[in-house]
Amino acid sequence: MYSTESQSMATEPYDWVENLKNESHRDDAIGKLREVLLRGLKGAFYRRGQDDAFCEDICQESLIRIIKNIDSFEGRSKFTTWAISIAIRVGISELRRRHHKDVSLDAITSKNDMKIELAVAEEGASGSDIDQRAILETLGELIENQLTDKQRTVVRALLGGMPVEEIARRTDSNRNAVYKLFHDAKLRLKSGFEASSYSMSDIESVFA
Amino acid sequence: MPLSKQQIDTLLTLVVNSSADAMECDGCLVNVAQFAEAELMGASLCESMKKVQTHLRNCPCCNDEYEALLAALEFVEA
Repeated sequence: MYSTESQSMATEPYDWVENLKNESHRDDAIGKLREVLLRGLKGAFYRRGQDDAFCEDICQESLIRIIKNIDSFEGRSKFTTWAISIAIRVGISELRRRHHKDVSLDAITSKNDMKIELAVAEEGASGSDIDQRAILETLGELIENQLTDKQRTVVRALLGGMPVEEIARRTDSNRNAVYKLFHDAKLRLKSGFEASSYSMSDIESVFA
Repeated sequence: MPLSKQQIDTLLTLVVNSSADAMECDGCLVNVAQFAEAELMGASLCESMKKVQTHLRNCPCCNDEYEALLAALEFVEA
């Protein structure tokens, strides 16, 4: 049973940290870790249309990051799980960078107008159309009056499909800061709805 | 350009599920390996792991990385 917050569920017989830090064992340990990472990367990225060369490049970059940050490994998971999670993030970041390299933030967020317009679709509407329209009008007002320009930009970019880290890169920010903007925007909208006498269950029932 | 119905539904779902004490992306990154192991073993989740779970439901970027991590772990274990 998984009962503690700081203990890994499974232990590994091979002491990765010790061997990666030990100069006389390091090359062997890196070779072993490279095999594990490559296998994991192939499992994750072949299905995303990537090839061996991509996996090899990501593996190499990941090994450097893992060894550089090895002291941040706290033993909450198996070392290999932690290492693969880093490699996956390196790989996904590269795919996102490539995918969005020719897409400008302005193209997604609208160059001159950060207001979010709401198109109320009559067809396919669930629940009461009148209730739905009232909620959408409130949402539109809240977006316009309660959110900052930065929050509207982030909301629009995320809903347009641009990943958090890509927005961060283009706004000279970081992923946490962008996520925080989005998070705070959601909380403002939520409290705005509540101040307008809409409970979250009202909204869920109308848009279920 | 107006938001599509799907985008509006997504936004409303995220608003409804938002919580003041939600975990941020960095917190998710620190805990996601542990969470993945718990999920793969079908173990019950402690409070910090439940916060990871909630973050993954609300953050498409972290969730995308998590799905890739699961695929990688399943391949490594196979």
